[in-house]
Amino acid sequence: MPKKRPGHIPGEAGLWIFLLGDMTLFAAILLAFLWSRRSDPLGFKDAAHQLIQPIGAVNTLVLLLSSYVVVRALFAHRAALYVDARRLIAGAIGCAAMFAGLKAIEYYASISAGHTPVSGQFFNFYFILTGLHLLHVIVGTALLAAWQLMCIRRRAWEGTQRVVEGIASYWHMVDLLWVAIFALVYLVSAE
Amino acid sequence: MTKRVLTLCAWGGPATLVIALIGWLIAGVLPIPLGSESSVEQVVSFYSHDTRVIAGLAISTIGVCFVFPLVAVIGVHMVKMEGRTPILTFLQLITGAATGVCLLLPLLLMTTIAFRPDRNPELTVMLNDIAWLLFITPIAPFMIQNVAIGVAILNDKRQTLPRWVAYVNFWVAFSFIPDPLAFFFHSGPFAWRGIFIFWLALTTYSIFLVVMGLTLRKAIKESSDLDACRLPPPRHDAPQPTNKLRAARVPRRRRPRPRRSPAAGAQEASRTHSR
Repeated sequence: MPKKRPGHIPGEAGLWIFLLGDMTLFAAILLAFLWSRRSDPLGFKDAAHQLIQPIGAVNTLVLLLSSYVVVRALFAHRAALYVDARRLIAGAIGCAAMFAGLKAIEYYASISAGHTPVSGQFFNFYFILTGLHLLHVIVGTALLAAWQLMCIRRRAWEGTQRVVEGIASYWHMVDLLWVAIFALVYLVSAE
Repeated sequence: MTKRVLTLCAWGGPATLVIALIGWLIAGVLPIPLGSESSVEQVVSFYSHDTRVIAGLAISTIGVCFVFPLVAVIGVHMVKMEGRTPILTFLQLITGAATGVCLLLPLLLMTTIAFRPDRNPELTVMLNDIAWLLFITPIAPFMIQNVAIGVAILNDKRQTLPRWVAYVNFWVAFSFIPDPLAFFFHSGPFAWRGIFIFWLALTTYSIFLVVMGLTLRKAIKESSDLDACRLPPPRHDAPQPTNKLRAARVPRRRRPRPRRSPAAGAQEASRTHSR
């Protein structure tokens, strides 16, 4: 196992094909979003003001916090402090649940206000982007739960290094994608 | 001989792509396919060039079937990865077969539409909708197939296939997720002709076919497995037929070691004790 060498790749090299491919796809959808915004900036501005920005902002903070917690958990796992790691991972799962809960409230609010995925281009992109991202959050939560199980079974660090680093990298990608979505969909469109 | 058959099957992946694309180009599906926003006249006029359209579509119906040998050769390698309980292999075979059928049926339906182009235009539009939505939206079998392949590769200690192939499979599965959106939209990037539906799926499915075909070809070439090659070349270092000797030698070398050291330790302890 390569330990902290200067050229160390978190997780494994192949994982980054998936992560970069995923991010490329999100980037393409965001580009298409910006492209269709060009034709109707005022409509997009009106629609973006219909979103509840505080919820989006709180969700950003929740995910950033969860990323920090995941980093701490990774360090705890490296130091074989399994009890600490379990607490931290539980915290990250809690953050993910909070994110999903807030997202559900937001969806409920916008659908009951009559903004469905088929009502206009902005909401079309809004629901697709956040829906795909929510799917990533769900997959990431399942991966965090798998990590929690590894800690409960107290597997040796050597065997799980790549797996755990991969899970952490995936979670950071989920966070990064949300930051991009929040910035472009909530903030830039409302300008 | 077996190796040659396996290699031919692995080439089925790239062959599917090439032959289906040639067929679609002849039929006129490809540079710009019919979309959900196409007018009735456009749909009817597409199918009215019957001989060319039928010829192209018939070629592509044959072409997509080359995916079946690829599914089979993926299965052979997954059995090697999984050993005695090849559940993911079976899953891959079932879902791979279903994917092949899901690709084949809509193309046959399109050929059927071109069979009698002078029917009521409304019927042509309806059949065209059925054909395209059947073609684009049944993604679950293919996604399950991708995940089964990926999980089998990641769990394989011997690295029959390189690990990055697993992640490519996960990514391909992910890229198919937007496809059911084709039911909701009649225009734009998420309609069936949109970039995130038809074009994305076509690109990533092509990547899947080529990556699986080429990595399997390499794995077959490099495998020294005896079932992959029925007639091994005569080995000058071994006087007997090598199969049994080789099979017996591997576990014998590994097992005694951990036992020997405590046993030896115990012997030494007893010696010192007796002294």
